Amino acid sequence: MKTWMLLIPVLLPVIGGGGMYFFPIKEDRFRQCYVFGITLLNSLIVFWMLIRGVDGSFSVFHMAHGLELKFHIDGLSRVFGGILAFLWPFATLYAFEYMRHEERNNLFFCFYTMTYGICVGIAFSANLITLYMFYELMTLSTLTLVIHKLDQPSILATMKYMVYSIAGAAFAFIGFMFILHYGTTTDFVYGGVLDMSKVGGRENLLLFIFVLTVLGFGVKAAIFPFHGWLPTASVAPTPVTALLHAVAVVKAGAFAILRVTYFSFGTDFLYGTWAQQIMMGFAIVTILFASSRAVKEIHFKRRLAYSTISNLSYIIFSASLMTPFGLKGSLAHMVTHAIMKITLFFCAGAVMHQTGKEYIYELKGIGRSMPFVMGCFTIGSAAVMGVPMLCGFVSKWAIVTAAVRTQIPLAFVGMAAILFSAFLTAVYLFSIVVKAFFRTENIVEPVKKEDPNWYMKLPIAVLSGMMVLIGVWSGPLMQLLEMIAYGRL
Amino acid sequence: MEKMIWIPILFPVLGGLILSRLRGMEQNRTARQIYIMTVLTAELALVFLFMQQKGSALRVFPLVDQIPVYFRIDEISMLFSGLIAVIWWLSGLFALEYMKHEGHERSYFVFYLIAEGVLTGISYAGNLVTLYLCFECMTLLTMPFVLHARTRKSVRAARKYMFYSIFGASMSLGGIVILAIYAPSIAFQPGGVFTAEVFGQHQTLYLCAAGLMIVGFCGKAGLFPLHGWLPTAHPQAPAPASAVMSGIITKMGVLTSIRVAFYIFGADYLRGTWVQTLWMTLAVLTIFMGSMMAYKEPSMKRRFAYSTVSQVSYILLGLASMTAEGMTGGLLHVVFHAVSKTTLFLMSGAVIYYTGKKKVRELDGIGRQMSAVILCYTIASAALVGIPPLSGFVSKEFLAHGVMEAGIPILNLLAPVVLLISAVLTAGYLFPITIHGYFPEKGEESYETISIDGKMLIPLLILGVLSVILGICPGRLITFAEQISELLL
Amino acid sequence: MDVIRNFPFIGIFFCMSSGVVNSVLPGKWAKKVSITAVTLNLVLSAAVLYYVIVTDQSYVYVMGHHPAPWGNEIRFGILEGIFATFFCMIMLLSVLGGIRRLEEDISEKRSNLFYVMVNLVMAAILALVYTNDLFTGYVFVEIMTIGACGLIVVRGESRSLVASVKYMIMSLIGSGLILISLSLIYDLTGHLLMSNIQEAIAQLVESGSYMEPLATAIALLSVGIAIKSALFPFHSWLPDTYTYATSTSSAILSSLISKAYIFLLIKVYYRVIGIQVIFQNKILHLLFAFGIAGMIMGSISAIRQNDLKRMIAYSSVAQIGYIYMGIGMGTTIGMLAAVFHMMSHSASKSMMFISASGLSSVSGRSCRFTRLRGAAHRNKLAGFAFLIGSFAMIGIPTTAGFISKVYFAQAAVQSPSNVKMIITIIALGISTILNAVYFMRAIIVIYSPVQEQGNHAKRKDTLMTAVLICFIVFNFALGLYSDIVVDYMRAGLAMFS
Repeated sequence: MKTWMLLIPVLLPVIGGGGMYFFPIKEDRFRQCYVFGITLLNSLIVFWMLIRGVDGSFSVFHMAHGLELKFHIDGLSRVFGGILAFLWPFATLYAFEYMRHEERNNLFFCFYTMTYGICVGIAFSANLITLYMFYELMTLSTLTLVIHKLDQPSILATMKYMVYSIAGAAFAFIGFMFILHYGTTTDFVYGGVLDMSKVGGRENLLLFIFVLTVLGFGVKAAIFPFHGWLPTASVAPTPVTALLHAVAVVKAGAFAILRVTYFSFGTDFLYGTWAQQIMMGFAIVTILFASSRAVKEIHFKRRLAYSTISNLSYIIFSASLMTPFGLKGSLAHMVTHAIMKITLFFCAGAVMHQTGKEYIYELKGIGRSMPFVMGCFTIGSAAVMGVPMLCGFVSKWAIVTAAVRTQIPLAFVGMAAILFSAFLTAVYLFSIVVKAFFRTENIVEPVKKEDPNWYMKLPIAVLSGMMVLIGVWSGPLMQLLEMIAYGRL
Repeated sequence: MEKMIWIPILFPVLGGLILSRLRGMEQNRTARQIYIMTVLTAELALVFLFMQQKGSALRVFPLVDQIPVYFRIDEISMLFSGLIAVIWWLSGLFALEYMKHEGHERSYFVFYLIAEGVLTGISYAGNLVTLYLCFECMTLLTMPFVLHARTRKSVRAARKYMFYSIFGASMSLGGIVILAIYAPSIAFQPGGVFTAEVFGQHQTLYLCAAGLMIVGFCGKAGLFPLHGWLPTAHPQAPAPASAVMSGIITKMGVLTSIRVAFYIFGADYLRGTWVQTLWMTLAVLTIFMGSMMAYKEPSMKRRFAYSTVSQVSYILLGLASMTAEGMTGGLLHVVFHAVSKTTLFLMSGAVIYYTGKKKVRELDGIGRQMSAVILCYTIASAALVGIPPLSGFVSKEFLAHGVMEAGIPILNLLAPVVLLISAVLTAGYLFPITIHGYFPEKGEESYETISIDGKMLIPLLILGVLSVILGICPGRLITFAEQISELLL
Repeated sequence: MDVIRNFPFIGIFFCMSSGVVNSVLPGKWAKKVSITAVTLNLVLSAAVLYYVIVTDQSYVYVMGHHPAPWGNEIRFGILEGIFATFFCMIMLLSVLGGIRRLEEDISEKRSNLFYVMVNLVMAAILALVYTNDLFTGYVFVEIMTIGACGLIVVRGESRSLVASVKYMIMSLIGSGLILISLSLIYDLTGHLLMSNIQEAIAQLVESGSYMEPLATAIALLSVGIAIKSALFPFHSWLPDTYTYATSTSSAILSSLISKAYIFLLIKVYYRVIGIQVIFQNKILHLLFAFGIAGMIMGSISAIRQNDLKRMIAYSSVAQIGYIYMGIGMGTTIGMLAAVFHMMSHSASKSMMFISASGLSSVSGRSCRFTRLRGAAHRNKLAGFAFLIGSFAMIGIPTTAGFISKVYFAQAAVQSPSNVKMIITIIALGISTILNAVYFMRAIIVIYSPVQEQGNHAKRKDTLMTAVLICFIVFNFALGLYSDIVVDYMRAGLAMFS
């Protein structure tokens, strides 16, 4: 496979989507076919490339000294790329139904599709400048999606999102500059690229910069105290929240942290240092804070947003362990959480779309009128809680065992935090399930079934099935992730 | 035959699922009743059939990290699965009539059957992960019992149940993870999986894991400090469900702690450590506290629930003493208490069904109205108090000896004293019902006899007879229990 | 080929003389002459640049027949060539882009005066770029001041008048300081030609005598130029000036005039005082501090503005802060970053002023945000140009602004002073965020969809369209192919002294 083909899955959605801006499509049906066609085609191309593999990297052009735009496919690319390629078509399908009654759909789907290409660009980036550039572009392209409704809350949410994101990127940029100077290259190489002869006696400085970089990228990954944009952004239409703020954007932040930790600064340099403790500390605090906050939250989507924040820090915590097992746990949770959280958001969105109910206290007895949606919500909740035989248990197990293996005291605290968070998850997620199915004292029979149509049901069903499948048959996936975590892929 | 261990586990589950789908079952009560009793009887037969297959094992599929879902039939499995099947049959029969009063019959029985399967799964579990899997499923699938009434109170009670259980399970998971990495094996072996050498290497770690797991799992058994859910949840469930919850599901907590203490760690390594002291202390505390609370409690079912808290900790005390006699006593009490407590709750069910009375002080003259029922109740109470020649006396005798032999400093003397006090209190909170039942205070109102439906009377009679028989000739059971103790100590 | 050596002088001379001629020509003719002059200079400068690159050395051109140290000299190397060409190009684009607006803003009678000013300013810029004589530099600094004032006031509004007066006062203070500094230097060294002065100063430094007067001279010169180029805290004249001048004038002022002053400053540092001496001097710390303060304060003020042009003006204050921060670093790479940013900022800022005028002309000639809502949909190209300019200011990769940030950050990372490194990187971060806040807010306003699209009958402004397209292309080119430019700049700096 020629390396220039790496550009195709990046550019195809961008050009396809961008085309919609200049040649707007008025007809709904045609637009749906077009958008879905591009998305599906791109996913197939991505999968094909991930399976076949591409040797070497493709350098697009030279921006400046030491800065060239380069793409490649390595283990991490496979994981993130796989997540995107698998979930985007489903999300698009879901979005068609959801946005049916909204305006300016043409513009919406234009940017929705372009974001796909940009995210693939992040997944396939071979060095820091490419990652950084697509990271910034992703902020810009998702801005338009958050602001879509153009009402006051949306505009405020967008400004908040933008300021946080650009602030984070600005500080991550600093880390990038330091790697540019102190590293042998800005490429991503397993084990890190720091040139120890240049680092000399300035380890503490570099550790400090590492923490800044992690916090910088961590803004998108919603590390406390920079998580504030995520719950506010849940005013956006659900397809945006589900795909972007549960899957693409936040996972991109986590992905960047993984890259910086394992492939730029390198775990040999970082293991055992105070910087590792600080990173772990932030992750633990976020886990506990977000889970607790979710319990208090009465708005359905915002509760799920806090759940996302908490789970993202599982990934960051596992990354902070700085061992191959830690990396494996991070990747596992990236995959499983993406599937679980997007399903939960889809269910919440279906409820909002069909009944207009946004708050938890309105959900009494809704299990009777929307049994399919709430049934899948139950599966999703159980999965996030970590019930065995569902995918959440598999990734949680990977993270917690990785923590125990390191024997770092703080890691045990982290394990306790994760287990406690599982308990809190039961409180804030499963209570919704209970309320939905068992608070039926005021329900008058017969109940009108309000489950959505197949556009929405299909993604939810397939993803719920995936949760069970991965939960029961996790062997191949975990082996693959183990190989990736050891740098053999 | 060996590979078919899954049958007793899945058969009731399938039975329940079919019940939920079949159209005819919703309306036609008779058909439903026949179906349910068929399933229960068949399960009873299956379980006793498989008891012959002691020693067979089945590896199903790897769940995480190459750790398989693993089932195995050994002595403990036999004891508990048999107990489950018998009690389930009896309570099921009772419920056929009782549930007419409660409504939502089909959903009750669906979960009733599925729960039986899951509990059998716990009995057969051959390693910690399988145990945890079935344990979590049990929590989720028995919640509907508490939720049955679908009122606000029941939902709150169910949530409390879920939270305590999940909290306890999360604690235990922490222990399981530690063992999964550092212990030689997490498959159960009588006497434990450790050798002195291995244990010495990470002793603190192992003991912490043990402590976590015991406290966590025993929360299901109502051990302080995780007992708070029990008095709230058990009374909310319909009476036959309370019966199995107090009678059997608490024993699942006991079972898991047996597996942890004796099949993973081994008495040799726990004896004399802070873990044992902690366990015994908590048990003593719970015994005392449970009895005190029961004595003061005006609501009948809640009084029985507190009684459960107290009585199950007798068992735990026996186990924690790690002496042959203590263990034997504990195992015996598992059976005896199950029988007695089921009787108590079924009695309360009968009372509520026919008279609607829920508080103890309302029960004047109940003995005249339902003499057979109250007779059985009296027998069971006497057994619980420990009056010879009834069953409770036998187990309490073993327990007392065992505890004194254990040789833990203060508890040596304190424990028997508490046992004595508790016995007195037990009499104090159980006998008044009998006394006021037969000799009402309020004078000679006419107490017409109420005729009790056969389906409710028969189980009560059987249980009453059992209490007597087990007291008079407990021989085979004692031998069996002693066998187990010997095996493990 | 050697005839090319005459080009700088020819260019300057032509500009000056055609400027004089313009004063008697009617408006339309003046316009044509002016544009011709600028275009001619563009061609000449390009030729010079090419020549210098090919021969890879800098040349001295003696004016008249009086050799050094008594005569006057022009000197040109790679850096001068780059900037001369670049400034000419920006001037041309700015004038062409704003021509329609000029016709609306300036009365017919006065338009020829405008073009006189344009010529004067062009000449002055080129002179500052090429001169090798300190006093000539001063003369043209004054000429440029006058020209700038003229550019502002020609609009005839009262507010322009006030702004112009403010500008004149501040600028003259600056000039005064420069003059004093110049006198001191002349006194210390006895020379006016830059190369000669450098030798003399080198001797002084070696002997260690007259250090205080020298330091004073450097300080006065730096502050003087700082005032004229609107470094914080001497920037108070800038917002009014940029806002109330016509769009071409704003573009010229922000992109060219302030940059020319800074170019002179750098030239003096390299060629008069000697870069090694400067790197030891404390004045750099002061410039650094003011630069950082300007970066932050400029952006903070920008956030509070309700008028687009004023917001852009404050943004200029911030960006000039960046340049001084680079200079104040005291390393070669810092200088390189500053020089590159001069070019990148010019390219973006002038584009932004032209596009702002495009947006306001379809919004009832107002620049207030309330009137500009949805303007980008009415004038798509101007909106897009503004968008690209904003991205450059914020520092999105693929724009030249990003490359500047990279170089500034690299200068910080490699800085020998830990304090400066930390302050710089934090300031860069904060400044990016602040820039994002106000620029993105502006973008959201101009791109918000508005229902009614009342027919704003706008005349087809093909010139502005062409100009904006050129700007956009150039910005992208600079962002994507900065390597070549930076390499030449580096070579140019190396031969600058």
